[in-house]
Amino acid sequence: MGVLSPLGDSPAALHRALCAGASHLAPVEGFAVEGFSMNRAVELRGFDPARYLGDGNFRPLDRTGLLAACAARLALDDAGWTGDAVARGEFALLLGTMFGSLRTISEFDRRGLEAGPLYVKPFDFANSVINAAAGQTAIWHHLRGPNSTVCAGTASGVQAIALGADLVAEGRVEVAIAGGAEELCWESFVAFSRAGMVANGDGTPRPFDEKRSGFALGEGAAFLVLESGEGAAARGARVLAEVLGHGEAFDPSQGSDERRGAETVTRAVKLALEHAGLQAEDVSAVSAAASGHRRADAAEARGLAAALGMSVASVGVTAPKGAFGECLGASGALQAAALLAAMEVGELPGVAGFTAAPPGFPLWAISDRTTPVDLAVGLVDGVGLDGPCCALLLGRS
Amino acid sequence: MARAVDRRAERRRVAVTGIGVVTPVGSGRETFWRKLLAGESGIAPVSSFDTSRFKVKLGAEVRGFDPAPWCERLDPGTLGRASQMAVAAARMALADAGLDAATLDAERVGVAMGTTSGEPLEIEIFNDALRAAGRDALDGALATRYPCHRIPGQIAAELGFAGVNVMLPNACAAGNYAVAFARDALASGRADVMLAGGADAFSRITYTGFARLGAITTDRCAPFDRERKGMVPGEGAGVLVLEPLEAARARGARVYAEVVGYGLSCDAHHMTASHPEGEGPARAMAMALADAGLRPEDVDYVSAHGTGTPTNDRLETLSLKRAFGAAAARVPMSSVKSMLGHTMGAASALEAAVCCLAIADGWIPPTTNYQHPDPDCDLDYVPNTARQVPVRVAMNNAYAFGGANASVLFAAAAG
Repeated sequence: MGVLSPLGDSPAALHRALCAGASHLAPVEGFAVEGFSMNRAVELRGFDPARYLGDGNFRPLDRTGLLAACAARLALDDAGWTGDAVARGEFALLLGTMFGSLRTISEFDRRGLEAGPLYVKPFDFANSVINAAAGQTAIWHHLRGPNSTVCAGTASGVQAIALGADLVAEGRVEVAIAGGAEELCWESFVAFSRAGMVANGDGTPRPFDEKRSGFALGEGAAFLVLESGEGAAARGARVLAEVLGHGEAFDPSQGSDERRGAETVTRAVKLALEHAGLQAEDVSAVSAAASGHRRADAAEARGLAAALGMSVASVGVTAPKGAFGECLGASGALQAAALLAAMEVGELPGVAGFTAAPPGFPLWAISDRTTPVDLAVGLVDGVGLDGPCCALLLGRS
Repeated sequence: MARAVDRRAERRRVAVTGIGVVTPVGSGRETFWRKLLAGESGIAPVSSFDTSRFKVKLGAEVRGFDPAPWCERLDPGTLGRASQMAVAAARMALADAGLDAATLDAERVGVAMGTTSGEPLEIEIFNDALRAAGRDALDGALATRYPCHRIPGQIAAELGFAGVNVMLPNACAAGNYAVAFARDALASGRADVMLAGGADAFSRITYTGFARLGAITTDRCAPFDRERKGMVPGEGAGVLVLEPLEAARARGARVYAEVVGYGLSCDAHHMTASHPEGEGPARAMAMALADAGLRPEDVDYVSAHGTGTPTNDRLETLSLKRAFGAAAARVPMSSVKSMLGHTMGAASALEAAVCCLAIADGWIPPTTNYQHPDPDCDLDYVPNTARQVPVRVAMNNAYAFGGANASVLFAAAAG
C-alpha cells in the first residue's frame, strides 16, 4: 500500500492520525481564496516529490501526476517490487480520479486565450487529458500492462480497486496497482463552494452528524498492489489482505432522490456480499463514504443499515472523510488503505466532527471515539454524489 | 498484497446487437455506414469558434445536432454537449437492438463509456465567465456538469438503468477500453445488457493543443499517404449494445458480431509520442489474439487508429508487421478517420461500430484521400474505394495519449 495524505504518507501514519482525531483543516495556502467566506481545506503542504521519487525531471508532471507517481512508488516499495522486476513485468495501473487535473486543463485554456494558441505549452496539453496522471505514472515506473483511468465520481477509487482485482482474478495480469489520486486546486475549490457542497461556518465537515452542512475538500493519493495469492506466495510477499468481492450499482435519480440513493447503496453492498459468498453478519467494520454532504450521508446511512440488517447494531462504522476531507477520486483508495491499517492493529478510528446523530439515525455503533475491533472483514463503501456506487469487501489474510 | 477471488460462473459469450452513432458524417447507423462506404467526408472549416488566430482551419464537427428529441426524461439544457451526443447515440443503439428500456431489468443494465476530455466546453464557459466578469460570476458547473463520469451517468438517468456505471477516460483508446470492460461485465454475469462506447465534444482546448503539437493537417486528412500532413480534430459519440450471445439469439435479435477478445497495454514511454518500435501496440494485438484463440492469418480486417500524422501511421504500420508477421501484408487495414476526422474519445467506439458492420455487411470502408504510396507504409489500406469482401474476424486498434494501447477483436457469431 502507498498513501500520500496531509494526515501522513503511510497507511499506518494515516491510521494514527485518524485515531488521534485532530483536525487537519486549515486556511488554504496553495492558491488565493479571497472572496470566499470559508477558505479552509485539508491541503497537502510541503509536498516534495523528490522525497519519494529521488532525482529526476519532474517538469513534465503536474500535481495530480506527481501525487499518483509518488503514491505508486510507495505502494511498490511496500509490496517489495523494485527496479527491473517492475519494468520486466506487465503491471496494470488503475487510477481513480474525478478530474485528472482540473487546474492543468483550465490554465491551458486561459493561456491560449490570453497569450494566443501558439504560446501554450505542449507539456500542458499532454497533461490536460483526464488520463494524464495514469500515463505519467506508467512512464515513471515502467508499468506496461493495461492502463486505465477510472471515473465514477467520489466512488472512483473504490471502483478502480474493484477493476484491478478483476484483472488479476481473471488472470489477465500478474500484478495490478489500483487506487486513486486527486489534487486540491482553485478551480475545484470555486466549483464545489459555489455548488453549495462545502461545509459552511468554520468549514468543519461532520459526516453523518445532525449539524452537517457539507464536506471539506481534501487531496491525496493511495494505491494498493494487487496480485494473485499464488503469485504473492511464490515470491514470499507479505500478504496484507484479500479482496473478497465487490458490487456496483447506479442511482438513476443521480443523487436527487434520497430513497433511491439509499437503495443503490444497499444494492451495491448486497452484490459485493454475494460476490464474496458472505452474509451481512460477516462484516466486522465499515469505512463509509460519508463526507458531511447533507443528502448523500443520509442516503448512505439508510442504505448501509438496510444492507447490514440485524448486524447494524454491532458493526463499527467509521467515516474518515471527517478527517482527510472529500478527496474525490482518491477518497475510496484512501478509505481502503486506512481500513487495512485498522485491520492490522485492531482498532477502528472514530468519526471526526461527529457529535450527535440526527433523529432516527439508523447506524447505531458510530461515535467520534476510537474503538477496538476484530476486523476480519471490512467493507469500503464508495458512494458518488450523482449516481455511481461501488462496495468493496476486504478480508484479513 | 491482496488476493482477488473469482467466484464467477462459466463465462458467457458476448454479442453486439445495437449500434448508435452521432458523427461528423451524420447520425444513425444507416447514414453513417452509407456515407463511409461512399467515402464521404465530414471534415470542413471549423464553425463553432473563431480560428483566425490559428494557422490551421479544418475540423470534423457534428453540425445541426439537436439533443431534444433524444431526451425524454432529462432536460437537455442541463447536459454538457458530449453527454447530449452520448444520450442520443445510446437511444439510437437501444432502438437498433430492438430493445425497449422500459421492459429491461434496469438493475441488470450497465453503461461503460470512454472520453478524452469529457465536457471541455464547461471549462471554456468557466474561463470565459472569469475573464468577462471576474470570479464572482463563476458557478458550480465544474463540480456538477463537467466531471466526465456524468456522460455514462446521464445515459443511465435518461434510460433508467441502475446497473454498473463507469467512465474509462483513456483518451483516444477509451472506446475500446469501454467495450472490453462491458464484455467482462457481461461474460462474468455482472450485467445482462451493457451500453458501451465513447463521446467527446469539439472544443477550442483540444484544437489549440493539437495545433500547438503541429499535428493538424492544413489540407486533406490522408492517412498512410506519403504526403500526409496530419490529423483533424473531431467530435461525436458512438454506443454499442452488448448482451450475452445466448440471450440475443433467444430473443431473435440481429447479431452484428461477437466480441471475442481484447488486449490492453501501455507504452510507458512518452505522453504524446509512441514507442519508436511499436512495441506496446504489437503487445496489445498479440494479447487480443491470444485472448480470442486466433492467429494473425484469421483476421480479415483491421480498423486502423490511422490518424494521418506522419509518425502515427508509420509506427502503426510497423507495429502491425511486428504483431502479424507475414499476415500483415495480406490483411486490409483502413482508417475511417480520413472521413470522420479524429473524434477523440468517440473514435474507437465508432471504429468498433465499423468492425461490426464490416462483419455483418461484408463491406470494408476505404481510407480516402490516398494518392501517394509511402515506402514506410506499404500495407493494404483499402485506398479510396470501399471493398466488398467477406469479413469473419475484425480487429479494432486504438492508441492514446499516455501510451495506452487497446485492441479489440470482433468475429461473426458462429457455433
